[in-house]
Amino acid sequence: MASELHTWIEVAAFMGGGIAMGFGAIGAAMGEGHTAASANAVMMRNPAIKGDIFKTMLVGQAVAESASIFALVIAILLLFTRFHEVSYMPVAALLGAGISMGFGAIGSGIGSGFPSATACEGIARQPEATQKVTTVMLAGQAVAQTPAILALLISIILIFKEFPASDTILFAPAAALIASGLCMGIGAIGPGIGEGIAASGGVTWVARNQENAGQIIRLMLVGMAVSESTAIYSLVVSLLLIFVV
Amino acid sequence: MEELGHVYQLLVPVGGYTMTFNLNVIIMTWIVIALLLLFGYATARKRNRIPGPMQVVGELFVSQLYGLTEDALDKELARKYAPLICALFMFLVLCNWLGIIPRLEEPTKDLNTPLSLGLMGFFISHYLGIKTKGFKGYIKEYFEPIFFMMPLNVIGELAKVISISFRLFGNIMGGSIIILVVSYLTYSVLLPPFLNMFFGLFVGTIQAFVFTMLTIVYISVQVK
Repeated sequence: MASELHTWIEVAAFMGGGIAMGFGAIGAAMGEGHTAASANAVMMRNPAIKGDIFKTMLVGQAVAESASIFALVIAILLLFTRFHEVSYMPVAALLGAGISMGFGAIGSGIGSGFPSATACEGIARQPEATQKVTTVMLAGQAVAQTPAILALLISIILIFKEFPASDTILFAPAAALIASGLCMGIGAIGPGIGEGIAASGGVTWVARNQENAGQIIRLMLVGMAVSESTAIYSLVVSLLLIFVV
Repeated sequence: MEELGHVYQLLVPVGGYTMTFNLNVIIMTWIVIALLLLFGYATARKRNRIPGPMQVVGELFVSQLYGLTEDALDKELARKYAPLICALFMFLVLCNWLGIIPRLEEPTKDLNTPLSLGLMGFFISHYLGIKTKGFKGYIKEYFEPIFFMMPLNVIGELAKVISISFRLFGNIMGGSIIILVVSYLTYSVLLPPFLNMFFGLFVGTIQAFVFTMLTIVYISVQVK
């Protein structure tokens, strides 16, 4: 029994790691590509400040990448951690962790590409606003990553949760663990993209109207918080699935 | 790959419970504090109207962060909280840079550091929220738009703490994992210094700035 259990847990960990990194790479790559395309386009519009545009593009891409860095953390944890082999529950938990982080990184990756793309445009239009635009871009991108971070939280809970020892396979609780991964992972796609759109709107208008930056940022954050609420519903349901059901 | 997730711990039994201290993190944090004190001493030692090189660096730091705080909060609050913001940023930057020195580790790689700093920001912003809006106005905000949204609003506030601290933790941890794996694969030849530069200096600075910026923004959302 022990060796069979060991095999099952390893299978789940490897599958989870593959899913986490495989899906987790999608979003950030798309977002970064979007940023680069916009930087290329506006470089032609205002070649005089190509250095600033290049810097903004790089900073934006580096921040947009963190969604897939989270996926990498989970993938490496799944591949190299030694898990307690006392019951069959970790099999489901590790798969769920991979699914949660893999899908959860898609939305935030795509979403945090939008503000950096519009930041490049804004800087090309209005070079004096560079500092303010960069600040708003960073804040917007960071908040747009919240859904991915919630997915990271669920993954870490699933990986390090301890289960009572048993020899039998309980299907319903195991399904609940996988479902919690699915719930948080898929639930994080929409809010990630939506918050990215909100942040990109904020960046555009800060670039056009620097004087009212404070008001714009506050409205942007409130809007983002509202669109984030759906990710929070997913978080609540996932936590219920893990700890209550 | 064995050192992954290895932590030196000091276990202190207190009445039936065991207190766990992560020695590595504590030592690294003290190194950061000592470096910051040295930096402060060096910048403020010979203050002059015509500043020396160290004083210029210090003034640059302080004036930039002061401006940032003043943009988000009003003048009075900025006077009060800009020193905190400056200290937070300098501490985080130095923490994230520490990993580029061999044998030293980033204190922010351990979840305890970002989480406690995130909680600090959370308590400060809510304290200020209660102070400016009054207790009634503060509580009333949780029942908007409809009263039964209250639990979700509370979770939303807690999610802010989680997101701010896990963002820093995940990025720094991810960077160090990538450096570890690549060093292992290439036998530490050629590539790791560039990765150190990217993840240690570049991403470290950006993430420290993002953490500081979000702390200011959370305070300003509560105050206005």
